[in-house]
Amino acid sequence: MGKLDLRNPDAILKGGASGPVVMPGASTTSLLIDKVVTQQMPPGKTKLTAAEIDQIRVWIDKSLTPAAVEAAAVTENEVRAILQARCVVCHGSGERSGGLDLRTAASRLKGGKSGPALVPGKPEESLLYRKIVDGKMPPAAEAKLLAVELPTAGETEKIRAWIATGAPGPAAVPAGLAVTAKDREFWSFQPPSRPTVPTVKDNSKVRNPIDAFVLAKLEAKGLTYSPRANRLTLLRRVYLDLTGIPPTPAQIDDYLKDQSPDAYERTVEQLLASPHYGERWGQHWLDMAGYSDSEGFGQDDGVRRYAWRYRDYVIRALNADKPYDRFLQEQIAGDELSDDWKKAKSGATQELIDRMAATGFLRTVPDPTDSFERGLIAERMNIVAEEVEVLSSSVMGLTVGCARCHNHKYDPIPQRDYYRLSAILETAYDPYEWRSPNKRELDLALDAERKVVEEANKPLQAQIKKLEADLSKVIAPFREKTPGLKDEELEKKFPELELQAQSLHKQLDEVKEKVKPAPNVRVLTDNAEPSQFYLLRRGDPVGFGEPVDSGVPLLFQNAALKPYQPVAPFAGTSGRRLALAQWLTQPNHPLTARVAVNQLWMRHFGRGIVPTVANFGRSGMPPTHPELLDWLATEFVERGWSLKSMHRLMVTSEAYRQSSNVSEALTAADPDNALLARMSLRRMDAETLFDSMLTASGRLDPTLFGTPTEVDVRPDKEVTVNATAAGFRRSIYVLHRRQTPMSLLDAFDQPAMTPNCTERRRSNVATQALHMMNGSMAWDLAKFMAGRVIDEAEGDRAKQIELVYLRAYARRPSEDEVRTGLQAITDFRKQWPARLNTDNAEAPRTWQGEWLALANYCHAILNSAEFSFVD
Amino acid sequence: MAKSSRRDFFSTMVDGFHGAALASLLGSDLYAAPTFDLKPKSPQFKPRAKSVIHLFMNGGPSQVDLFDPKPMLTKMAGKTPSRELAFAISNGKEAGTLMPSPFEFKQHGQSGIQLSEAMPHLATCVDDIAVIRSMYGEHANHEPALFLMHTGRTIATRPSIGAWVSYGLGTENQNLPAYVVLDDPKGLPINGISNWQSAWLPPIYQGTRFRAEGPPVLNLQPRAEIPTPLVEAERSLLRKLDAAHRDARPYQPDLDARISSYELAARMQLAASDALDVNTETEATREAYGLNEPATASYGKRCLMARRLVERGVRFVQLYIETQIFDTHGDLKAGLNYACTKTDKPVAALLKDLKQRGLMDSTLVVWGGEFGRLPISQGGGKDPGRDHGPNGFSVWMAGGGVKGGCVHGATDEIGFKAEENKVSVHDFHATLLHLLGLNYRDLAYERAGLKERLTDQFPARVVSEILA
Repeated sequence: MGKLDLRNPDAILKGGASGPVVMPGASTTSLLIDKVVTQQMPPGKTKLTAAEIDQIRVWIDKSLTPAAVEAAAVTENEVRAILQARCVVCHGSGERSGGLDLRTAASRLKGGKSGPALVPGKPEESLLYRKIVDGKMPPAAEAKLLAVELPTAGETEKIRAWIATGAPGPAAVPAGLAVTAKDREFWSFQPPSRPTVPTVKDNSKVRNPIDAFVLAKLEAKGLTYSPRANRLTLLRRVYLDLTGIPPTPAQIDDYLKDQSPDAYERTVEQLLASPHYGERWGQHWLDMAGYSDSEGFGQDDGVRRYAWRYRDYVIRALNADKPYDRFLQEQIAGDELSDDWKKAKSGATQELIDRMAATGFLRTVPDPTDSFERGLIAERMNIVAEEVEVLSSSVMGLTVGCARCHNHKYDPIPQRDYYRLSAILETAYDPYEWRSPNKRELDLALDAERKVVEEANKPLQAQIKKLEADLSKVIAPFREKTPGLKDEELEKKFPELELQAQSLHKQLDEVKEKVKPAPNVRVLTDNAEPSQFYLLRRGDPVGFGEPVDSGVPLLFQNAALKPYQPVAPFAGTSGRRLALAQWLTQPNHPLTARVAVNQLWMRHFGRGIVPTVANFGRSGMPPTHPELLDWLATEFVERGWSLKSMHRLMVTSEAYRQSSNVSEALTAADPDNALLARMSLRRMDAETLFDSMLTASGRLDPTLFGTPTEVDVRPDKEVTVNATAAGFRRSIYVLHRRQTPMSLLDAFDQPAMTPNCTERRRSNVATQALHMMNGSMAWDLAKFMAGRVIDEAEGDRAKQIELVYLRAYARRPSEDEVRTGLQAITDFRKQWPARLNTDNAEAPRTWQGEWLALANYCHAILNSAEFSFVD
Repeated sequence: MAKSSRRDFFSTMVDGFHGAALASLLGSDLYAAPTFDLKPKSPQFKPRAKSVIHLFMNGGPSQVDLFDPKPMLTKMAGKTPSRELAFAISNGKEAGTLMPSPFEFKQHGQSGIQLSEAMPHLATCVDDIAVIRSMYGEHANHEPALFLMHTGRTIATRPSIGAWVSYGLGTENQNLPAYVVLDDPKGLPINGISNWQSAWLPPIYQGTRFRAEGPPVLNLQPRAEIPTPLVEAERSLLRKLDAAHRDARPYQPDLDARISSYELAARMQLAASDALDVNTETEATREAYGLNEPATASYGKRCLMARRLVERGVRFVQLYIETQIFDTHGDLKAGLNYACTKTDKPVAALLKDLKQRGLMDSTLVVWGGEFGRLPISQGGGKDPGRDHGPNGFSVWMAGGGVKGGCVHGATDEIGFKAEENKVSVHDFHATLLHLLGLNYRDLAYERAGLKERLTDQFPARVVSEILA
């Protein structure tokens, strides 16, 4: 079993397929303890008791001492791992302190200014070993600044033993364990095949093949579709679904007037062509990517100044219906598609900026490494692990995180595969020769953008010039007094000068702070000379196991699939991410198209065909409609990976046009609406709610793209968004900082991006009601809405109510509803004069009372369930 | 498991612990989506405590100056540290020599536990607390260390312990949040709101900040500019609109949930204001908590609020103190005196008050920071301090199920590293959950194919030695 023999201490120390099972003296890091404590072992019902486990613990900690470990031959790979972790930050490709490069066998022998780093066979004469045991290297004084930790006694001993045995050279990277054919049989590891469209009894309900697949299942259970939704219900549904904002009264009227049979289809075309489509579906993609405008670590939670370029790229790409395969290639390897970015400076095109900004997809997770204290190897590896999670959950629908520490329990993903996948990203995220976030920017901007910044900076530059001249004048007499000294030296030497210069320096600093650089682009690019990467036992950053090459999970080794084969497209990059992107986007990839159409389906219909949208593996839930999933996946590829054409298919299906009303019988037959005998009623997500409030009230500033709108943290800690001259911009343009999420959006489950979000929660909790009822935003928007309605309907109250209904609910009120509204406004109207008497405003109280009474009415409407739920 | 046995498993679970979560884990044949709420859940076994008050001591309280006397430091004063100890300091150039504590230690109570003179009030409670002297962490920097203490990992993307407990046990009082955070009005702790995040646990489990001044919850009170009768009139219109909307749409549980959330909001206005109103307390109580002295008024008020909250059935209350009050890099003595003066009296008053009201048996009080400090001096000069030391530090627990008057574990002779009966942060978390009737192995949440736990996949052990 697992090649592990537990019969005697020697065998136990040797370990099994997962590496060593006990760490002498360290029970807490011993795999054996983990397995029994987490009850993974022994298999079966009988588990070890706490007392028995404690006994084993004591034995590992006390009786089993490191001295008992048999000295095994140390390989070059093991030593290289240690040197990478402890030494190459100074003695590597970047800096060659003392002229020494410790990365390769040849460079070690060549040595540096003090001679060769090692003498094979003679550890005591080898500088490499001597410097460590003598406590000279790594230098304690600078260690933390360099994010270097002290080599352990075991590591030092390994280096000694390796030199003593003649410092053998590197061996080939071993091939991984094969995954069996049986392992690969699982449905989602097989390429999708084109199913035949089933025939159904009631063909009148089949608008496109989607309906045939859905109806076939329903009919088999004796069910059928619900009646079609009311025309305006469907209109509101599809507006909110495709653009995230409700229709205006004029758009509603146009639609109602259009009695042609394809009126709905043409509306769908308009919505897909609307720039708001990219904003709405861009937000969905940003969820998957884990987009945030901040570094997301610590209280400072530094702002990522140029993250918005990635957001804009996503919106533009979706609006242009960029084929999904290309969309992925650019995000995973935009930098490897061409080396044009290396040359470009001025005259950068939007296309180039976008393609480089696209690599921001793998730059989203919290990154603390701007601080050296938080940039240790462990933290760097955590970043890689979280980017792997983003990639695998959003694009591959595969859970690989568990394989960081051990072989996957459910899916045939050995631990080695995890590190092979990590190694694809590690040429860019090299944990041994790390680049902090501020070193991962490119100076690329449109000439127009540069010009705007230059214009803004001009007056500041003039101020700087003047201040510098003033400073020079102040210093001049001292220069004459003591020639040969630099200005700063002079200031230090003469206290009276220092005093005079102080305020000028302060002013200079202030002005210089205001000078803006042209916007850069946050990117992911490769290190020119990547390190060797290793399987890390139990995920321990220095638990070096076998070296690994980069690769995709072996379970996909399949005659039908082109293998992953990295080729450097140009010097200075590995081509690994490009190979991954190409491998993922081959037409018959088992997961890519399936995962993508399933995501679209979930967002249109409320749940995925595979309900666990980020887990297509064995521990996920199986598809409710496997044939439909494969039909959609193959159709998607056939239609050139066009996302818009898939939206079109889904929202024009008869399934989508059903009513969301449900009977008792149907609830009992299908409580979760897995079979789609109705549409699902859903609460709006946070962004749709906010954007709809802005639209209904007439406060939406529809400006697209650019730097995000700042938020304001009020004294009571409420975080609100600042208004622009034209109103409020859509929520996708609000600065999304992990520490200061906009309170209203936060209350409605806007995700905190930990690290990404493949499926939103929709809670109904009291804090939401408090924000909507008592918060300033809802009330201010209600007042604005009342004002616009009065402008349009003047004194006609019934007309006012009708306009409120059209704006908020996208329908006209019934007579009853008008009556209720009139009564409510009359009641509200009576309460205001007394209140208004107490302030000294010049405004006429009667008029103001009219307005505020209507504002109360609008406020109640914005608070109502009908507004925030979509039928 | 065969399909039939899975179903049997659920049908036999009375008031099942996370039936839904388990269903999603085991029952790939079950379509039901898990539902999450804050209703009280049965623990997995008989709990020793029902509520937790977590007194988080930001900054890294110095163990060798508060809880862990080291006479050897006096003997070795001025000696050069080992290479390992010198490496532990953040800036190697600031590494000083071994530095004894400027505080005297004395034995207290029946148990004779030694405590530093910096905490005279806690000294009167030592027989109620269990001191763990052998805690160890993983990181010497505040942010990762705070994440470790709160979430079990040094990364920013996992749920905090309060969220896990709310998920596991729900709460007794539906008019108040399950998990309340009382942060210092002077500023957020390091990592800010991430300390009480639910991360990928459903958002209803994240901590709710109650403010010590003004309305405790954001937007709790109606807008002042709207006359009260109008607030009522508007609500009555809203009820009418929503009732009609729901009546036309039967069998939609989301609409029911949404209507009850508005009702709860109205109830919360009263309940939250009442829970935090310390003016109704007797003068003697207010005096005991230090509400009448400037140094203790702020923290004392939060301690008193914490008692009022657990009294009302709130599951998890977390208190923070300034940003990094225990982060004594310089002028150790003055720094620790400042921190202890602010907190010592209120904390002791809280313990005594809980005891007197019979709440001690059902409330677990936890005191501790994110790490300890190094036994060497940092920064030269007249008044040096100590740098962060994650390898050995002290915390204490008291109340529900904890053996009072005991000391567990030990650091080495200079207080640098935990040596005897070491307690990892995972052990600490497992113990906390155990006292609440939860097994750290089984309090799990299914996420992307992983069975996530507070202790992640790390081994952990309940520190049974400190259990009563």
